[in-house]
Amino acid sequence: MQGVQREEAEPLSQLYDRYNGIIKALILRVVHNEAEADDLLQEIFMEIWNQAKNFSAQKGKPLGWMVTLARRRAIDKLRKKQAYARAEERLQREIEQQPDAWVHNSTEEEILDGDRRILIRRVIEMLPPPQQQAIELAFFRGMSQREIAANTNTPLGTVKTRLELGLKKIYDGLKELRDEL
Amino acid sequence: MSFEEFQNYARLFIVGALEPDEAAEFEAARREFGEKAEAYIAECYSLSEAFALSLKPAKASDQIKARLMEMVKSRQTR
Repeated sequence: MQGVQREEAEPLSQLYDRYNGIIKALILRVVHNEAEADDLLQEIFMEIWNQAKNFSAQKGKPLGWMVTLARRRAIDKLRKKQAYARAEERLQREIEQQPDAWVHNSTEEEILDGDRRILIRRVIEMLPPPQQQAIELAFFRGMSQREIAANTNTPLGTVKTRLELGLKKIYDGLKELRDEL
Repeated sequence: MSFEEFQNYARLFIVGALEPDEAAEFEAARREFGEKAEAYIAECYSLSEAFALSLKPAKASDQIKARLMEMVKSRQTR
Protein backbone atom coordinates (compact mmCIF):
# COMPACT_ATOMS: atom_id res chain seq x y z
CA MET A 1 0.00 0.00 0.00
CA GLN A 2 2.92 2.33 0.70
CA GLY A 3 4.06 1.93 -2.91
CA VAL A 4 0.57 2.85 -4.15
CA GLN A 5 0.68 5.90 -1.88
CA ARG A 6 3.93 6.87 -3.63
CA GLU A 7 2.02 6.59 -6.94
CA GLU A 8 4.05 3.63 -8.22
CA ALA A 9 2.29 1.47 -10.79
CA GLU A 10 3.80 -1.92 -9.91
CA PRO A 11 2.47 -1.99 -6.32
CA LEU A 12 -1.00 -1.19 -7.68
CA SER A 13 -0.63 -4.10 -10.09
CA GLN A 14 0.25 -6.39 -7.15
CA LEU A 15 -2.61 -5.03 -5.06
CA TYR A 16 -4.98 -5.70 -7.95
CA ASP A 17 -3.71 -9.28 -8.40
CA ARG A 18 -4.12 -9.97 -4.71
CA TYR A 19 -7.54 -8.47 -4.10
CA ASN A 20 -9.46 -8.15 -7.37
CA GLY A 21 -11.33 -11.44 -6.85
CA ILE A 22 -12.54 -10.43 -3.38
CA ILE A 23 -13.51 -6.91 -4.45
CA LYS A 24 -15.27 -8.16 -7.58
CA ALA A 25 -17.23 -10.70 -5.52
CA LEU A 26 -18.35 -7.93 -3.18
CA ILE A 27 -19.41 -5.65 -6.06
CA LEU A 28 -21.21 -8.50 -7.78
CA ARG A 29 -23.07 -9.31 -4.59
CA VAL A 30 -24.38 -5.74 -4.56
CA VAL A 31 -25.10 -5.01 -8.24
CA HIS A 32 -25.84 -8.54 -9.53
CA ASN A 33 -24.55 -7.72 -13.01
CA GLU A 34 -21.29 -9.09 -14.39
CA ALA A 35 -20.50 -6.28 -16.87
CA GLU A 36 -21.34 -3.52 -14.38
CA ALA A 37 -19.26 -5.28 -11.75
CA ASP A 38 -16.24 -5.32 -14.08
CA ASP A 39 -16.66 -1.61 -14.89
CA LEU A 40 -17.02 -0.76 -11.22
CA LEU A 41 -13.98 -2.87 -10.35
CA GLN A 42 -11.87 -0.78 -12.68
CA GLU A 43 -13.33 2.48 -11.31
CA ILE A 44 -12.75 1.36 -7.74
CA PHE A 45 -9.10 0.43 -8.29
CA MET A 46 -8.65 3.79 -9.98
CA GLU A 47 -10.18 5.40 -6.90
CA ILE A 48 -7.87 3.33 -4.68
CA TRP A 49 -4.98 4.75 -6.68
CA ASN A 50 -6.33 8.30 -6.39
CA GLN A 51 -7.30 8.07 -2.71
CA ALA A 52 -4.36 5.99 -1.44
CA LYS A 53 -2.85 9.01 0.29
CA ASN A 54 -5.92 9.12 2.56
CA PHE A 55 -5.29 5.56 3.79
CA SER A 56 -3.81 5.32 7.27
CA ALA A 57 -2.46 2.02 8.58
CA GLN A 58 -3.36 3.20 12.09
CA LYS A 59 -7.03 3.18 11.12
CA GLY A 60 -7.04 -0.42 9.88
CA LYS A 61 -5.76 -2.81 7.24
CA PRO A 62 -5.74 -2.02 3.50
CA LEU A 63 -8.41 -4.63 2.79
CA GLY A 64 -10.86 -3.07 5.26
CA TRP A 65 -10.32 0.32 3.66
CA MET A 66 -10.72 -1.05 0.12
CA VAL A 67 -13.85 -3.02 1.04
CA THR A 68 -15.41 0.09 2.59
CA LEU A 69 -14.64 2.12 -0.53
CA ALA A 70 -15.86 -0.61 -2.90
CA ARG A 71 -19.05 -1.24 -0.95
CA ARG A 72 -19.92 2.46 -0.94
CA ARG A 73 -19.34 2.78 -4.69
CA ALA A 74 -21.31 -0.36 -5.48
CA ILE A 75 -24.27 0.72 -3.35
CA ASP A 76 -24.20 4.20 -4.96
CA LYS A 77 -24.31 2.51 -8.34
CA LEU A 78 -27.17 0.28 -7.28
CA ARG A 79 -29.18 3.26 -6.05
CA LYS A 80 -28.57 5.25 -9.22
CA LYS A 81 -29.47 2.47 -11.58
CA GLN A 82 -32.75 2.85 -13.37
CA ALA A 83 -33.18 -0.85 -12.83
CA TYR A 84 -33.14 -0.34 -9.09
CA ALA A 85 -36.83 -1.04 -8.86
CA ARG A 86 -36.36 -4.33 -10.69
CA ALA A 87 -33.52 -5.27 -8.35
CA GLU A 88 -35.80 -4.46 -5.45
CA GLU A 89 -38.42 -6.81 -6.85
CA ARG A 90 -35.79 -9.52 -7.27
CA LEU A 91 -34.59 -8.92 -3.73
CA GLN A 92 -38.12 -9.12 -2.41
CA ARG A 93 -38.55 -12.47 -4.14
CA GLU A 94 -35.21 -13.64 -2.70
CA ILE A 95 -36.30 -12.59 0.77
CA GLU A 96 -39.55 -14.47 0.42
CA GLN A 97 -37.91 -17.59 -0.97
CA GLN A 98 -34.62 -17.62 0.97
CA PRO A 99 -34.59 -15.63 4.19
CA ASP A 100 -30.93 -16.48 4.71
CA ALA A 101 -29.13 -15.44 1.53
CA TRP A 102 -25.68 -16.14 2.95
CA VAL A 103 -26.71 -19.71 3.58
CA HIS A 104 -28.36 -20.21 0.21
CA ASN A 105 -25.21 -19.14 -1.63
CA SER A 106 -23.12 -21.61 0.27
CA THR A 107 -22.59 -24.45 -2.19
CA GLU A 108 -20.51 -27.54 -1.57
CA GLU A 109 -17.89 -26.22 -3.99
CA GLU A 110 -17.61 -22.99 -2.02
CA ILE A 111 -17.26 -24.79 1.26
CA LEU A 112 -14.29 -26.72 -0.12
CA ASP A 113 -12.73 -23.57 -1.53
CA GLY A 114 -10.53 -21.83 1.00
CA ASP A 115 -9.98 -22.46 4.70
CA ARG A 116 -10.29 -18.82 5.66
CA ARG A 117 -13.64 -18.48 3.96
CA ILE A 118 -14.89 -21.63 5.64
CA LEU A 119 -13.90 -20.32 9.06
CA ILE A 120 -15.54 -16.93 8.46
CA ARG A 121 -18.70 -18.46 7.06
CA ARG A 122 -18.87 -20.78 10.02
CA VAL A 123 -18.97 -17.74 12.31
CA ILE A 124 -21.64 -16.03 10.18
CA GLU A 125 -23.73 -19.16 9.78
CA MET A 126 -23.87 -19.66 13.54
CA LEU A 127 -26.22 -16.68 13.69
CA PRO A 128 -29.98 -17.24 13.56
CA PRO A 129 -31.19 -16.62 9.95
CA PRO A 130 -33.07 -13.39 10.82
CA GLN A 131 -29.83 -11.87 12.18
CA GLN A 132 -27.92 -12.98 9.06
CA GLN A 133 -30.63 -11.50 6.87
CA ALA A 134 -30.60 -8.13 8.66
CA ILE A 135 -26.80 -7.87 8.30
CA GLU A 136 -26.94 -9.00 4.67
CA LEU A 137 -29.50 -6.31 3.82
CA ALA A 138 -27.53 -3.61 5.62
CA PHE A 139 -24.09 -4.50 4.33
CA PHE A 140 -24.71 -5.79 0.80
CA ARG A 141 -27.82 -3.74 0.00
CA GLY A 142 -27.03 -0.57 1.88
CA MET A 143 -30.42 -0.59 3.59
CA SER A 144 -31.09 1.51 6.66
CA GLN A 145 -32.72 -0.06 9.69
CA ARG A 146 -36.03 1.48 8.62
CA GLU A 147 -35.73 0.07 5.10
CA ILE A 148 -34.94 -3.39 6.49
CA ALA A 149 -37.94 -3.15 8.79
CA ALA A 150 -40.21 -2.17 5.87
CA ASN A 151 -38.80 -4.82 3.51
CA THR A 152 -39.07 -7.66 5.99
CA ASN A 153 -42.28 -6.56 7.75
CA THR A 154 -40.42 -6.51 11.03
CA PRO A 155 -40.70 -3.93 13.83
CA LEU A 156 -37.86 -1.39 13.78
CA GLY A 157 -36.80 -2.28 17.32
CA THR A 158 -36.48 -5.94 16.35
CA VAL A 159 -34.32 -5.07 13.34
CA LYS A 160 -32.04 -2.99 15.55
CA THR A 161 -31.71 -5.81 18.08
CA ARG A 162 -30.99 -8.36 15.34
CA LEU A 163 -28.27 -6.17 13.86
CA GLU A 164 -26.68 -5.41 17.22
CA LEU A 165 -26.70 -9.00 18.45
CA GLY A 166 -25.59 -10.44 15.11
CA LEU A 167 -22.71 -8.01 14.65
CA LYS A 168 -21.50 -8.53 18.22
CA LYS A 169 -21.50 -12.30 17.78
CA ILE A 170 -19.59 -12.06 14.50
CA TYR A 171 -17.12 -9.57 15.98
CA ASP A 172 -16.51 -11.81 19.00
CA GLY A 173 -16.29 -14.90 16.78
CA LEU A 174 -13.70 -13.24 14.53
CA LYS A 175 -11.67 -12.22 17.57
CA GLU A 176 -11.51 -15.84 18.67
CA LEU A 177 -10.44 -16.84 15.16
CA ARG A 178 -7.78 -14.13 14.85
CA ASP A 179 -4.86 -16.53 15.17
CA GLU A 180 -6.30 -18.95 12.63
CA LEU A 181 -7.14 -16.28 10.01
CA MET B 1 -23.27 7.25 25.98
CA SER B 2 -21.27 4.49 27.67
CA PHE B 3 -18.31 2.95 25.84
CA GLU B 4 -20.25 -0.30 25.50
CA GLU B 5 -23.06 1.58 23.72
CA PHE B 6 -20.44 3.27 21.57
CA GLN B 7 -19.07 -0.16 20.61
CA ASN B 8 -22.56 -1.23 19.50
CA TYR B 9 -22.89 1.91 17.40
CA ALA B 10 -19.39 1.44 15.95
CA ARG B 11 -20.31 -2.00 14.62
CA LEU B 12 -23.50 -0.60 13.08
CA PHE B 13 -21.47 2.28 11.61
CA ILE B 14 -19.12 -0.15 9.88
CA VAL B 15 -21.99 -1.90 8.10
CA GLY B 16 -23.64 1.44 7.27
CA ALA B 17 -26.69 0.75 9.42
CA LEU B 18 -26.79 3.78 11.70
CA GLU B 19 -29.93 5.88 11.41
CA PRO B 20 -29.27 9.65 11.02
CA ASP B 21 -30.03 10.46 14.69
CA GLU B 22 -27.79 7.60 15.82
CA ALA B 23 -25.02 8.76 13.49
CA ALA B 24 -25.03 12.18 15.19
CA GLU B 25 -24.84 10.56 18.65
CA PHE B 26 -22.09 8.25 17.41
CA GLU B 27 -19.99 11.14 16.08
CA ALA B 28 -20.37 13.04 19.36
CA ALA B 29 -19.30 9.96 21.36
CA ARG B 30 -16.45 9.35 18.92
CA ARG B 31 -15.07 12.80 19.67
CA GLU B 32 -15.60 12.30 23.40
CA PHE B 33 -13.80 8.93 23.55
CA GLY B 34 -11.01 10.10 21.22
CA GLU B 35 -8.17 7.66 20.54
CA LYS B 36 -9.90 4.81 22.34
CA ALA B 37 -12.85 5.22 19.96
CA GLU B 38 -10.63 5.34 16.86
CA ALA B 39 -8.81 2.20 17.96
CA TYR B 40 -12.09 0.37 18.40
CA ILE B 41 -13.42 1.53 15.01
CA ALA B 42 -10.18 0.29 13.37
CA GLU B 43 -10.79 -3.12 14.95
CA CYS B 44 -14.37 -3.11 13.67
CA TYR B 45 -13.16 -3.00 10.07
CA SER B 46 -12.48 -6.71 10.57
CA LEU B 47 -16.25 -7.06 10.14
CA SER B 48 -16.38 -5.57 6.65
CA GLU B 49 -13.25 -7.52 5.69
CA ALA B 50 -14.90 -10.72 6.90
CA PHE B 51 -18.10 -10.09 4.95
CA ALA B 52 -16.08 -9.64 1.76
CA LEU B 53 -13.88 -12.66 2.54
CA SER B 54 -16.96 -14.79 3.16
CA LEU B 55 -17.79 -14.60 -0.57
CA LYS B 56 -16.31 -16.82 -3.22
CA PRO B 57 -13.82 -14.67 -5.19
CA ALA B 58 -15.12 -13.67 -8.62
CA LYS B 59 -13.02 -13.62 -11.76
CA ALA B 60 -12.72 -10.26 -13.46
CA SER B 61 -12.35 -9.79 -17.21
CA ASP B 62 -8.65 -9.82 -18.21
CA GLN B 63 -9.13 -6.49 -19.96
CA ILE B 64 -9.92 -4.70 -16.70
CA LYS B 65 -6.39 -4.85 -15.35
CA ALA B 66 -4.90 -3.87 -18.71
CA ARG B 67 -7.21 -0.82 -18.92
CA LEU B 68 -6.51 0.12 -15.30
CA MET B 69 -2.73 -0.01 -15.70
CA GLU B 70 -2.96 1.95 -18.97
CA MET B 71 -4.92 4.70 -17.19
CA VAL B 72 -2.44 4.78 -14.32
CA LYS B 73 0.55 4.98 -16.64
CA SER B 74 -1.03 7.75 -18.71
CA ARG B 75 -1.57 9.77 -15.49
CA GLN B 76 2.03 9.18 -14.45
CA THR B 77 3.33 10.60 -17.71
CA ARG B 78 1.22 13.78 -17.43
